[in-house]
Amino acid sequence: MSRQDGLARSESQPLVQSDQRPTVAPYCDVYENNDELLVVTDLPGVTSDALDINFDKGELTISARRNVLPENAIFLGAEFRNCDYRRRFAVPAGIDAGSIKAELKLGVLWLHMPKSDALKPRQIAVQAG
Amino acid sequence: MLTRWNAGWSDVDDMFATMNQLRSYMDRVFAEPTPSRFAEGAPSAFYSGTWPRTNLIDGGAHLFLTAEVPGLSEKELKLTLNQEVLTVSGERHVNVPEGYSAHRQERPTVSFSRSFALPCRVNAERASAAVKNGILTVALQKAADAMPRQITVKAHD
Repeated sequence: MSRQDGLARSESQPLVQSDQRPTVAPYCDVYENNDELLVVTDLPGVTSDALDINFDKGELTISARRNVLPENAIFLGAEFRNCDYRRRFAVPAGIDAGSIKAELKLGVLWLHMPKSDALKPRQIAVQAG
Repeated sequence: MLTRWNAGWSDVDDMFATMNQLRSYMDRVFAEPTPSRFAEGAPSAFYSGTWPRTNLIDGGAHLFLTAEVPGLSEKELKLTLNQEVLTVSGERHVNVPEGYSAHRQERPTVSFSRSFALPCRVNAERASAAVKNGILTVALQKAADAMPRQITVKAHD
C-alpha cells in the first residue's frame, strides 16, 4: 500500500525548487454497464485546455497539467502544489474509439467509452413455430 | 482492471467487489499515503492523511486558503470563521452511477471538517470564497493591526 514508483519523491525529502513539478497518478473509478465503460478521475484544478486524453492501441492515457498556485507565494502550510497528472489503462478490444466522450466538471473528468455493437448484450427473440 | 466483459462471473465479481470495498474502507481508516500522495512530496508533518488537502498562503494584505475539493460545488461546502479559526466542512458522496457496476473505486466518499488556526486576526466581513474546477479558494483580509507595514528609516545628522 505504500509502494513508491520511480517518479515519486519520498516524503522525508523537503520541498525543493518550485520548478520541479511532481507527476501524480490521480484517483480513478472505473464503472461498466451494457453500453460503455466509464472512467471517473479526480483532477482538481485542471482546465479543459490543460487536459490531454489519448487512446491508442488499446491503451488509454490521461495526462493533465495543473497550475493553480502562484509561483512565488509565501506558503504557511503546503499540502499540494502544481503538478502533472498522468494515468494509463490497458483497455480491452471492442471500444468504439470514435465515440469516446469526455466531460470535465467541478474538477472531475467523466470519460465515456462506448462498446462496439458486437460486444453489447442482445436479446434474442424466440419465434413461435 | 478493464478486462471483464462477461456477466457470468457475477458471484465471484460480487465477492471481489465486497473485498475491494472492505479494503478501501480499511485504506480510509488508516489513511495511509498512496504512491500518488508520495509523489506530491508534501511535508510529512503537515500532511496526515486528511481530506481535503489544503494550502495556506500569505499574500501580504490577505491570507489565502486553497483546498482540493474535486466534485464539490459551492452548495456542498460550508465555511465558518470564528475569531482566528477557519473551519471548512462538507461531504462528498461517491456513488456507483445508476445501472453501472464498479470495477475499481479509488475516489473516496468523505465527510470532512478541518479547522485552521490563522496566524493573525482577519476581517470577517471582507472574507470571500469561491470554488472553481475543484479548487476552493478563501480570501481573508487581514485585520488592520495585522497588516504588513512599511517603516521609514530616518537619518539623524
